[in-house]
Amino acid sequence: MGADIKKLKTRIKSVDSTLHLTKAMGLVASSKIKRATDAMMKSREYADTITDAVSMLTACRECEKSPYLKKGDGKNTCLIIIAGDRGLAGGYNANIFRLAKEIRADEVIPIGKRACDRYGSEPVLAETFRYLDALELSKELCTRFSEGEFDRVGILCTNYVSIMSQEAQIKWILPLEKNENPNPISIVFEPDEITVLNSAIYEYIAALIVAAVRESYASEVAARRVAMDSAGKNAQQMLDDLYLDYNRARQGAITQEITEIVAGSDA
Amino acid sequence: MNKFTLTISSPDGIIYQDEVQGISLRGAEGDLAVLSGHVPFITSIKPGECKVIMADDSEKIAYVDGGLLTVSNDTVNLLAGSFEWKDNK
Repeated sequence: MGADIKKLKTRIKSVDSTLHLTKAMGLVASSKIKRATDAMMKSREYADTITDAVSMLTACRECEKSPYLKKGDGKNTCLIIIAGDRGLAGGYNANIFRLAKEIRADEVIPIGKRACDRYGSEPVLAETFRYLDALELSKELCTRFSEGEFDRVGILCTNYVSIMSQEAQIKWILPLEKNENPNPISIVFEPDEITVLNSAIYEYIAALIVAAVRESYASEVAARRVAMDSAGKNAQQMLDDLYLDYNRARQGAITQEITEIVAGSDA
Repeated sequence: MNKFTLTISSPDGIIYQDEVQGISLRGAEGDLAVLSGHVPFITSIKPGECKVIMADDSEKIAYVDGGLLTVSNDTVNLLAGSFEWKDNK
């Protein structure tokens, strides 16, 4: 009996410390949610505005000649994979990597510590990813794309639906989708459509990358919060069960002791 | 003078959105200014100074590091990589 009580006590202690950990991580995640979703909204706004401008550009016939609209056969694929910086976020990282397995990629550019660890490159944190990093990456990608090194470029990121649900998805960013609806009004381009498109493309791709990173980061934080909430609940449940067992064992030991003493005094 | 809506956005969100009288900055083919009633227009802009004439006739100067300017129906969007007002007036 005594050994049983001791075992239960150590288990209670370890579950209790796990509970503390999940609670702390959940709190940290919930304090980060607001900032992460704000940043996501802002970068999404910018990406939407620049997407409108680019779709006005791709509606022009002159832009069909642009190397960025040239459709390939998907033989050389470059994939930007955005995953979390840390684990313990439920299925967040696993969902991304599962989707990554389904798509054959010739080159992978990982963002987020987990993705970098997996693909063996210098760690790039998703939390502190800046616009300038994205611009650099976008310039490199656009140059290599226009030289024909890749014929499609995609971003594997997580779509933030709500705090409770996020889903991994792939967005193809290059080649540009041609806008089939011609512009209703004639627009003046200076100096001309192709030049404007070729200089706007860097900012456009960078904006898409930043928006995807911010959205994925918001998803990571939200996923962690939910995961920690349910882990905390499970730990509490376990703790309750263990306490019940422990008290029962303690009471059993006392009862046995009393029985022994009574039996001893009778004799 | 007639006014139009100017929206200046950067990847960190909208920096400025209000009615203004005019904006002048450095376009791909030299300096340009946009006033109310401008034709629909898209151009890339070069790094340089940007002058905004506010609704109350005052002028504000800022630095842009390049980007894209779109004009349509008296709404002007300035998409900048970064945009800094010269002083915090």
